[in-house]
Amino acid sequence: MKVGVSNLRVKYAGAETLLFNKLSLHIKEGEKVLFLGPSGCGKSTLLQILSGLIPNAVPVPMKADEVAIPESSGVVFQDPDSQFCMPYVDEEIAFVLENCAVPQTEMKSFIHHYLMKVGLNFEDPHVEISSLSQGMKQRLAIASMLALEPEVIFLDEPTALLDPEGTSEVWKTIKQLNAKQTMIIVEHKIDEVIHFVDRIVLFDSEGKIIADADPESVFSFYKPKLKEYGIWYPGVWTDHKQDENLPAPYEKGQQLMSISQLQGYRGKSSKIEVSDVTAYEGEWIAVTGKNGAGKSSFLLSLMNVMKTSGTKRVRDKVLKTIKASREQLAFVFQNPEFQFITNSVYDELVYSLEMLEDKGVEKVRNWLEAYDLYHVKDLHPYQLSTGQKRRLSVGTAMFGTQPVLLLDEPTFGQDASNTFKLLALFEELRTEGMLIIMVTHDEMIVHNYATREWVIQEGKLIEDRKRERREKGERHAMDFTV
Amino acid sequence: MQWTLQYEETWLHRLNPAFKLIFFLSLFLILLFVHNPNVISNLTLVPLLLVLFATGHRRKVIVLLLIPFLILFFSSASSMMFFGQGTTTWWKWGIIHITEESFFRGLHIGFRALNFALLGLLFALTTRPVFLFYSLIQQLKVPPRFAYSFMAAVRILPVMVEEFQQLRAALLIRGVKKKKGLQRVTQSIMLYAVPLLSQSIRRAHRIAVAMEAKQFNNKERTYYYKQTYSKVDIYFVLYIMAGFGLAYWVGHTFPYFGITDVRN
Repeated sequence: MKVGVSNLRVKYAGAETLLFNKLSLHIKEGEKVLFLGPSGCGKSTLLQILSGLIPNAVPVPMKADEVAIPESSGVVFQDPDSQFCMPYVDEEIAFVLENCAVPQTEMKSFIHHYLMKVGLNFEDPHVEISSLSQGMKQRLAIASMLALEPEVIFLDEPTALLDPEGTSEVWKTIKQLNAKQTMIIVEHKIDEVIHFVDRIVLFDSEGKIIADADPESVFSFYKPKLKEYGIWYPGVWTDHKQDENLPAPYEKGQQLMSISQLQGYRGKSSKIEVSDVTAYEGEWIAVTGKNGAGKSSFLLSLMNVMKTSGTKRVRDKVLKTIKASREQLAFVFQNPEFQFITNSVYDELVYSLEMLEDKGVEKVRNWLEAYDLYHVKDLHPYQLSTGQKRRLSVGTAMFGTQPVLLLDEPTFGQDASNTFKLLALFEELRTEGMLIIMVTHDEMIVHNYATREWVIQEGKLIEDRKRERREKGERHAMDFTV
Repeated sequence: MQWTLQYEETWLHRLNPAFKLIFFLSLFLILLFVHNPNVISNLTLVPLLLVLFATGHRRKVIVLLLIPFLILFFSSASSMMFFGQGTTTWWKWGIIHITEESFFRGLHIGFRALNFALLGLLFALTTRPVFLFYSLIQQLKVPPRFAYSFMAAVRILPVMVEEFQQLRAALLIRGVKKKKGLQRVTQSIMLYAVPLLSQSIRRAHRIAVAMEAKQFNNKERTYYYKQTYSKVDIYFVLYIMAGFGLAYWVGHTFPYFGITDVRN
């Protein structure tokens, strides 16, 4: 028995119930185990306990009859931007080597060795970490973790904050590591891992183990649970479409928005160029393109937050100032926290309403009830769960009567059930005649929801495609069942 | 976004950072005891020459960075000139009272400020923070846990700037009712500080856990960069000594100002 706990009990400060109550779990040498469960069920906490981070680095009160942690463990975390302490690639791996007291003269060759293992082949590894893509950063995190020569590798949602390209890049890297390596993985997007792991441990929302078996058995017996817990299991989209029954392609509504010769500048350089496009009521436009292509700049130019030239029109209103844009376009930011400016959920909406109290109260209440936020109305927005934060940010943005909704990757990092709830909300708005313009990396959303796609490349709108929503139940190449 | 300046490495970059830090601090102290405006104006040339010709940064960057220092020079000089005490009045208008004594005192303060600023700029332009912290550990025996925490913090700064820009755009888009007067100040502090701090605190915690996961501890460790003293350190001391000596000699032999001690 290599790693495990017996009769584990954990309680976070201030929590009313135990996070784990009498939990026992043991993992054998060479096993690759995937922990699945709803957000907040304690998967990540358990991973940190098994890796020894809790209670050594993070003090959390816990008791157990037995805790077997590996002699050496390597952990990769979720956020690519907060796991490095040095500015350059070589220095970051050197940091690990220094910790292990590797002699200085041998460091260069070790750095080269570990970078090769994750496929980062720099001629000179003295490269700034900030210049890497998110996927490359996670691979660097894997390389520096490998430099510890760990007995057990722990992966704590390593791709939760990556786009699809970065996600497959990272899994490809992990799959080519030593086949006998013991691994413990927490992940929500399991398309790519499912054939890689030997064993799945499924937790319920109380942190109890409800299944512990090979992937095939878990899939055949617990699929409804996976769906309930918002896990991105293979085939989730097919099931979703069967449940949702999306309306067939839209009928074109009234002309709503027109853009001509739009250019957005940061300083003197042009970041985005859109020559002539018109959009109609009830359209769902997906804005796609590579990272840094200018998608966010496009939205910011529409809002007049960037310096722009050219004209933007919604109905007969010309949008020249931020105020004019705000009245016509509702904007939802990628990080919802930046949109909150008051101290409670309720006040956020009242603030957006800018209405008299007695008139507003009913509307705010109705909205909060409709979006399942009324029971948390007095909490500070930061205390909400990620899904709730996202819903509130959508609420604050479009509490007015704007006919256009701009969304900057609203489903990024969200679990499947939150994503589908949000998409249902947007779809409802769309059928009411709203124009939705959404920046997204998610191919499946483009396939299933968008009625039109704008492709941005190197700061230019290069393609304007019509998208047919797929027929109900049609299988996509990425979907498969086990 | 590009945050680092491109530069060529020069001999100033090869100075031992910890030594450079101590040496510069002592130069600051010495400057406090110079009271002759003739000497201090000459002294300004010593760091100025290095800043202009030996940092390896592009001319354009240096000129841009010098602008605030010139403003600093004029503002600190003029406030002393206009409102200082003195017996030989040159000009008087309302509360502005320029005397011969206050004029030279102002000039002197201005040059001193400029000297400090140039030395600081020289240090900042020719020292990589990472090397400084390694050198602090190796030469000055600073505990690694402090030095590495500082390095991690330096890394967070550009991320914070980016977050600040995003936050500003978000606030512009939501439209904030601006309060008036002093309340405006507290309002913007609340609007910016709460989200930025909460992000930073969580990020700092995550980085700390990640560092511990990489086995960062108080045990014996080796170092990727070895910081040592070299001949360059001696050249630098010689340059400063020669420069200061020359400045002192010229200032006393060929004074341009009648006043030789601004304290009188």
